[in-house]
Amino acid sequence: MDYREKFEMALEKVQKAPRYTGGEMNTTVKAWDETPLHFGFCFPDTYEVGMSHLGLKILYGLINRESWSLCERFFMPWTDMIELMQKEEIPLLSMESRRPLNEFDVIGFTLQYEMSYSNILAMMEMGGVPLEGTERGEKDPIVVAGGPCAFNPEPLAPFIDAFMIGDGEDVMTELNRVILRRKTEGWTREECLRELAKLEGVYVPSLYDVTYEEDGRIRAVTPNCPEAPATVKKRVVVDLNNTYYPEEIPVPYTEVIFDRIMLEIMRGCTRGCRFCQAGMLYRPVRERSLEKLTDLAEKLQEATGYEEISLSSLSSGDYTCLPELIRTLMRNMKEKRVSISLPSLRIDSVLKESLEETQQVRKTSLTFAPEAGTQRMRDVINKGVTEEDLLEKVRDAFSGGWNSVKLYFMDGLPTETEADLDGIADLARKVVGEYFAVPKDQRARGLRVTVSVSIFVPKPFTPFQWAPQDTIETVFAKTEHLKKVLNIKGVTFNWHEPYVSFMEACFARGDRRMGRVLQKAYEKGCILDGWNETFRFDKWMEAFKECGLDPAFYANREREKDEIFPWDHIDSGISKSFLWRENEKALRAETTRDCRKGCNGCGLQKWKGVCGYANAGSV
Amino acid sequence: MLAVFEKGERIRHIGHLDIQRSVQRGLRRSGLPVAYSQGFNPHILITFASALSTGACGKREIMDVTMAGDVEAEEFLEKMNRAMPPEMQLKEARAVDNKHPSLMGMVAAADYDLLIRDEAQGEKLAAALPEMMKKDQIMATRKTKTKLSECDIKPLIYSLYAEKKDGKTHLRAMMTLTERESCKPQMLLEALKAQAGIEAEVRMLVTREGLYGLNETGALAPLENM
Ligand code: SF4
Repeated sequence: MDYREKFEMALEKVQKAPRYTGGEMNTTVKAWDETPLHFGFCFPDTYEVGMSHLGLKILYGLINRESWSLCERFFMPWTDMIELMQKEEIPLLSMESRRPLNEFDVIGFTLQYEMSYSNILAMMEMGGVPLEGTERGEKDPIVVAGGPCAFNPEPLAPFIDAFMIGDGEDVMTELNRVILRRKTEGWTREECLRELAKLEGVYVPSLYDVTYEEDGRIRAVTPNCPEAPATVKKRVVVDLNNTYYPEEIPVPYTEVIFDRIMLEIMRGCTRGCRFCQAGMLYRPVRERSLEKLTDLAEKLQEATGYEEISLSSLSSGDYTCLPELIRTLMRNMKEKRVSISLPSLRIDSVLKESLEETQQVRKTSLTFAPEAGTQRMRDVINKGVTEEDLLEKVRDAFSGGWNSVKLYFMDGLPTETEADLDGIADLARKVVGEYFAVPKDQRARGLRVTVSVSIFVPKPFTPFQWAPQDTIETVFAKTEHLKKVLNIKGVTFNWHEPYVSFMEACFARGDRRMGRVLQKAYEKGCILDGWNETFRFDKWMEAFKECGLDPAFYANREREKDEIFPWDHIDSGISKSFLWRENEKALRAETTRDCRKGCNGCGLQKWKGVCGYANAGSV
Repeated sequence: MLAVFEKGERIRHIGHLDIQRSVQRGLRRSGLPVAYSQGFNPHILITFASALSTGACGKREIMDVTMAGDVEAEEFLEKMNRAMPPEMQLKEARAVDNKHPSLMGMVAAADYDLLIRDEAQGEKLAAALPEMMKKDQIMATRKTKTKLSECDIKPLIYSLYAEKKDGKTHLRAMMTLTERESCKPQMLLEALKAQAGIEAEVRMLVTREGLYGLNETGALAPLENM
């Protein structure tokens, strides 16, 4: 029996076979032999998670669009499938032509969250690709990665040949062209990697040496060959209207997490929340035009038959002509019976009218993210939401017939005191009060307020990149306190165990040595760490111990102003001095204005013509 | 509009609900004028003759779509086939009026092809088949959600024979399939295994070749022609 037959046999035994079958509408199976370059797109999590991800759909379309390249998808199998694959010696196969991973010229991982890292190793091993770059030979694929976590690539440096930093649309094709030349011109792997390092936005970790201080901090990161630039600048696509966006996207048979059209209305965010890494990494803000979006919505709907369109961005409420966009979409889509899911923060008076008119809104739960319980704390994190704002929106929602509200908070933020935790409970109580203030016959029955408190993870390229994370013990103590104060009628308190956040913190600001921990933990059986049922904290701690590293060094240590960070040779466009300034302002609870009200000199203004809000001289 | 469609081998593990949703989205992609239900959460008016189990392929599955305007069968077929994935293509379509009786109520039997993956097992099963059919009663276990029960499947079998194609044994069975009772391929296989004295797992590929109804004379006839 060959592996394809064995795979078919395994499908008869696994829990959710549809996640492995492929053949979905709008997927592309190009002729293998006639297409010179074969790209294996790897999403290091399950099919249902991966197929909900917009970036996958963009790059899938983009690579398949070129006549000379093809793209096939790979996902992380669930444990039952992995067991069968190991027993029957079935390699990891692509969704399209069911070819093993190691038959591809390039394999690309998308790095969306740190806890997917062990899956990367698992997928490579199952796909017959040597885990470490140094073990790969001339016949092995080039392994690349991109996505938000690529901004601190160091923990994955041993395993990934080249990282793409920043927006992927342009650099993806450039990178594929270079890798194609490896084939046509017979370049060695090393030659190819050096060529890749010349591309703007591409970081080849093996071309850099890292030295450490006695205490484990980094002394220097230095290029070891002329092709490698001292710092790698992130890529930015300046004009989204002229940047590739798919007009056809795969439609899964089985239900995935986001089973709908995602329309990316803008990229970046001007608000400058200090905890938010995406808000910094995706600067500057760039909008797609109304015309482009209505056109895309039309085409995507026709190509998919989806019943729902959601607007996607970091803060859709800030899109310049949001009310007009929503009205236009609703009008165009009404006959096709397509609903538009709205950014919940904007269920305000501007939209009320068109909502009532169309009745297209399902009264599901509304979510708000005040992030912190007191005004002082919100000023520290520069979250420009006031209590009055929030209560007003909640009031609108309750009188508009909603009965369910979700509130998202963080704990463990810098400078946090018990008063800030109590503030979370105060706010929840006031929200409950707003509900009861609506006359009984005018409100929906059955109030549900959910308070979710997640644990703050300090991230690179944010003003809090110097800050310590709360220790596990502190988090537990705070959670106990929150449980007590949030014991309010009508309020459900969702809390999180600190272990995953702790591991995230280790990786988020980890250096190359974290790669060893990752490999150790993987060898001990850690995979699918993003899932409760498979996450094994004890194994991770063993791995740290065996590598002689202290997790607290990464997670709980406060950094000095001038410490050299593992990611300092990556240039996100945001200057370290701006971030430090923001950090100091945070400690004084001073806010920074929204970039739309004036440039704050984050550093990006030095890249001419990139940020539309950075008018020269205003800094 | 009555249409015959295929559920291909690659997607045989897709369950009935997902198949339904895929057809609905296909209809929405096709741009054909389909009718929607009234109410807050409108859905396309469509019925399927019979849910095909997860794991089985279907050669001639049948659906009935209520159209919101006049559509020629040819146009329906062409537009839908452009809008459906390769594994779910339509084979035939025929305009029927809204008074067409419920498909589900009309189904009487299904024609199955059971490909036995292991040929040694296939030969044993084929050899045991005549013996089994000679018996007055063929006992099999029926599994419902809540219980197991013994029943006689002999009256449920219209015809049953074995044939060899490309060196593999196929069992061909026409068996009762109504809203009230049916004989599932797995039940038949279990009975035949018992007869052949096979205890090991037998892997088979189930293909439902077609659905049948009873015509005026009480004989089986392809449902799509009725
Ligand atoms: S350059 Fe100025 S306006 Fe642009 S993102 Fe940075 S601070 Fe904001």
